[in-house]
Amino acid sequence: MAKSMQELYDERMDRYWKANHLQKPDKVPFRPCAAELAGKIAGYTAQQVTHDPDLGLDAVVKMCQAVPGIDATVVNMVFVNTSVTESYGLKYYKVPGIDLDADDSFQYIEPQTEEDAFMKVEEYDRFIEDPNEFVMNVWLPRTSKYMVPPGEQNTWKNNLAWLKNGIAIQQYFQKLGANVARMQTETGTVSSLAGALKAPFDILADKFRGFRGIAYDLHRCPDKVLKATEAVAPHMAWNCIATADPSRKVPCSHWMHRGATGFFSEEVFEKFHWPTLKMVTEQIWEAGIQTIYYAEGKWARNLKHFRQLPEQSIIFHCDKDDIYEVKRVLGDRFAISGGVPNDMLAFGEPADVKKRVKQLITDFGPDGGYLLDAEAIMQQDVKVENFIAMAQACEEYGYI
Amino acid sequence: MDIKKISDLLIELEEEKVYDAVDKAIEQGVSGREILKASQAGMATIGDMYKREEAFVADMMFAGEIMRNILNRIQPLLEKEGGREKAIGKAILGTVKGDIHDLGKDVVMIALEGNGFEVIDLGVDVAPEKFVEAVNNNPDAKVLGLSVFLTSAFPSTEKTVKAIAESGNRDRVKIMVGGAPVTEVVARETGCDYFAEDAAAGVSYTKSVYGA
Ligand code: B12
Repeated sequence: MAKSMQELYDERMDRYWKANHLQKPDKVPFRPCAAELAGKIAGYTAQQVTHDPDLGLDAVVKMCQAVPGIDATVVNMVFVNTSVTESYGLKYYKVPGIDLDADDSFQYIEPQTEEDAFMKVEEYDRFIEDPNEFVMNVWLPRTSKYMVPPGEQNTWKNNLAWLKNGIAIQQYFQKLGANVARMQTETGTVSSLAGALKAPFDILADKFRGFRGIAYDLHRCPDKVLKATEAVAPHMAWNCIATADPSRKVPCSHWMHRGATGFFSEEVFEKFHWPTLKMVTEQIWEAGIQTIYYAEGKWARNLKHFRQLPEQSIIFHCDKDDIYEVKRVLGDRFAISGGVPNDMLAFGEPADVKKRVKQLITDFGPDGGYLLDAEAIMQQDVKVENFIAMAQACEEYGYI
Repeated sequence: MDIKKISDLLIELEEEKVYDAVDKAIEQGVSGREILKASQAGMATIGDMYKREEAFVADMMFAGEIMRNILNRIQPLLEKEGGREKAIGKAILGTVKGDIHDLGKDVVMIALEGNGFEVIDLGVDVAPEKFVEAVNNNPDAKVLGLSVFLTSAFPSTEKTVKAIAESGNRDRVKIMVGGAPVTEVVARETGCDYFAEDAAAGVSYTKSVYGA
């Protein structure tokens, strides 16, 4: 007799949980991070999945229906939704259908100069004093086309922006919850993560000072950089824990940027990046939540530091590193995921993909603590037949 | 004073001390061209260190910032001396339309300048017409470098190469292309002449075009 959706869901949740906790499940779980690819499978353009939350979230449910064998996936991997960002005129995204072609993915645009930076170098002290105050009164008006800072002449656009944004956020999160439930009841698929962490150094470098800004600040005012990471750290931990899975079954995510080897020296990582990242990861773990370290780029030089974290507190996702080396350095303490190159998914053939999946499962499956995924998030350049091949190969070889 | 101090301090990224050393050199009557040469030597060394993974992108960016400030300081001198010494050659660089990744391009620019080339930097998100215009306006530039970090920007790379061909200048410039997702195949398919794996490869290629 065919399994009920609930049985399928329970089986997949058990598999996902075990692999995340370094145990050996009945099958290697397939946990793709599929973004615009989901839209491509469902027949929606990047513009549709970015603008319309109904279609964006529906695309993921459709993908889980169309491609059997997805154990867990992200319900909103296209994480920018313009119903929210355009409601208050968020400036830093270029969006498909407005600034880009309908089938391009949204893009984050970093300010390139000190004049355009969302936080100026002389504003460190104010930020350190109270990051929330700075974000509300300075950063938000600067990143929004409509919001005006306190003290300036109020405008109707400002009032409307707050109103529209409140409505948009409420609607978006209601829909998100409803679609997580649909994934479970209609497809038996686990929503793979809840809650998001950003490393204090990353948030400062990405959204406040910019890469160049932070590169100069490390020489010109290193103490302030350090203090700013310390000031923002508790907020990052709280923000993550408050939005995490109440049942503590699925991990939160951490999209890792500026700690990648190549951007900064190891000394900079050790002094400015790692201490606060370690602290917040531990706090999140103490609250009963694992963190997926989605390590974009290469991390080889900095891998060893992660060994200091409590066993099982993270799941390490491998992008451009040699996954065999990652397994050797971290595999006894943490589960790992990744392994299928995105250029293979975009330019290769299903046979290549199957071969790669088989190899990964043969090498990592028997120990447990491995989850199948691509190296980076899957966008519209992934061939659908290659994605299907990935799922099929996992079903075929994954029971070990 | 020992002019080498300027390049040493630059390599160590000792910002204030470099400026002091430059100011002192100016005071002592060292020529702008000599100061420039010493600074470029420092930049070239940082470029080599980057290749050996002893310096990082952040260091390159900060070195570039210091270099810009040195240039501002010595500009009046250089003008008096009749401009910079003639560069070995000239290259035009830019990140193609639709793409705003500029770090890779800037590293290449620093490496080229450190090796004695003049660089015209068109910035990021550069439309094909802008490239065409720059090639037209710089008849002495034999190399055009395109930086591409998004697979979605491959079509605009191809358009850029086509636009240059249509402007009738394709034979005059060699086009090199680089960036994370670029490969030999991409270079060929988009009509470029050379795929540069890194900045050092770009420098060697530019040198070879100029027979230097
Ligand atoms: C930093 C970064 C950013 C920064 C850019 C900051 C800046 N000021 O440049 C920010 C955060 C803004 C950003 C935004 C985005 N990014 Co980005 N980004 C990166 C990242 C992590 C590093 C790129 C980099 O600067 N490296 C530093 C340079 C110095 O290193 P390098 O590549 O080794 O450089 C050498 C060579 O490439 C070569 N070279 C480069 N150009 C040239 C040119 C010539 C002429 C020559 C000779 C040589 C040469 O020489 C360089 C020096 O040796 C890459 C990941 C990666 N693996 O590269 C992603 C990456 C390029 N980004 C990616 C994406 C998807 C985006 C966004 C669309 C994300 C989003 N959804 O918002 C936006 C797009 C914005 C836009 N319109 O361009 C993807 C592209 C995937 C794809 N399929 O194409 C990548 C590969 C990440 C990933 N794995 O998914 N990004």
